[in-house]
Amino acid sequence: MPGTDSRDGAEVDALVTDRYLESLLAAHALGADLAPAPLELDPGVRAVAERLSRSLPRLHPSFRFEEALSARLTAAAIARRLPQAAGAEGVVVPMPNDVLAGVGGPLDDPALAAYLDGAGFDEDADHVRPLLIGGALTSAALSLAGAAFVAWRFRREASTPMARAIRAVARTRLA
Amino acid sequence: MEAAQADPARFEALYRKYVAQVYSYAAYELRDRHDAEDATERTFLAALAHLARFEERARPDDGEGASTFRVWLFQIARNVVAERHRARRRRPETPLEAAAELTAPLDLERDVARRDEAREALGAIGRLTGDRRQALVLRFVDEMSTAEIAGILGRSEGAVRVLIHRALRSVARDLDGRAGRDG
Repeated sequence: MPGTDSRDGAEVDALVTDRYLESLLAAHALGADLAPAPLELDPGVRAVAERLSRSLPRLHPSFRFEEALSARLTAAAIARRLPQAAGAEGVVVPMPNDVLAGVGGPLDDPALAAYLDGAGFDEDADHVRPLLIGGALTSAALSLAGAAFVAWRFRREASTPMARAIRAVARTRLA
Repeated sequence: MEAAQADPARFEALYRKYVAQVYSYAAYELRDRHDAEDATERTFLAALAHLARFEERARPDDGEGASTFRVWLFQIARNVVAERHRARRRRPETPLEAAAELTAPLDLERDVARRDEAREALGAIGRLTGDRRQALVLRFVDEMSTAEIAGILGRSEGAVRVLIHRALRSVARDLDGRAGRDG
């Protein structure tokens, strides 16, 4: 099949050329102008490859343009980074570690109980760390904290007459 | 690369590394300094905007520091340049060669005019068809591997090898023909 032979021949020639270009460009990287060429290489291809490799310059943009675009990219990068940063649109509040660990512990944590009860909270305590509100993780943590708070308030004896009244109404409805 | 994906502000390092290559590619393709600058700007802004979408395809056995980011970046650049070419066709402007003579918008030919062979080579490259021209510019100017060019042009490595081989033969014939006419 002549077509196949021709195609195979073209691929072989192309492979020889490719190998030569690899060595030629590697030689240029080392400061040499020429590289050894295989005998099978088309002399015309070799000549033009050598010519292009030494005469086609890499162009550089002007310093002014490069710096202006750099500034534009930096501004765009900062604009993109801000919404991505957790807490960029939220606030920081202190929360106990256990709130992030799961729902099993918070109700038994006296610090959390005191915090939820509005009885004060020791911000210098070792078990406290800041919690950034705004990201998906903190949203989930707040949901857990909210569920824990509702459950805890529901189980706990109310401290004011109004709270006792509301809880009594709620129990009546549930019943 | 990973640092830039985690923090877009660190994109700066990638920009500095590749800006000359992207600009060079755009300048050879568009033959106009302002268009090349515009294409460079669009390329990097698009890359920054879509940085999270980039997927590293290089494997550990490809070598230390191997990355397919340059291929991804040049795919964007190629699209930007193609869009510019389409815009030119929709809204024809002054013919490129005439514009070059009148305003010298790109110093490319002037910079290398001291060497006639360089000018002739640039002319021959410019007369190639799109893919052949791009393949030679990526190979000789940006010194990319066949695999990288294949990734950018969306062809197999074998097809790119044949493309480059034929492009070189075409340039050789072109230069020989002109030399014969001039001589």
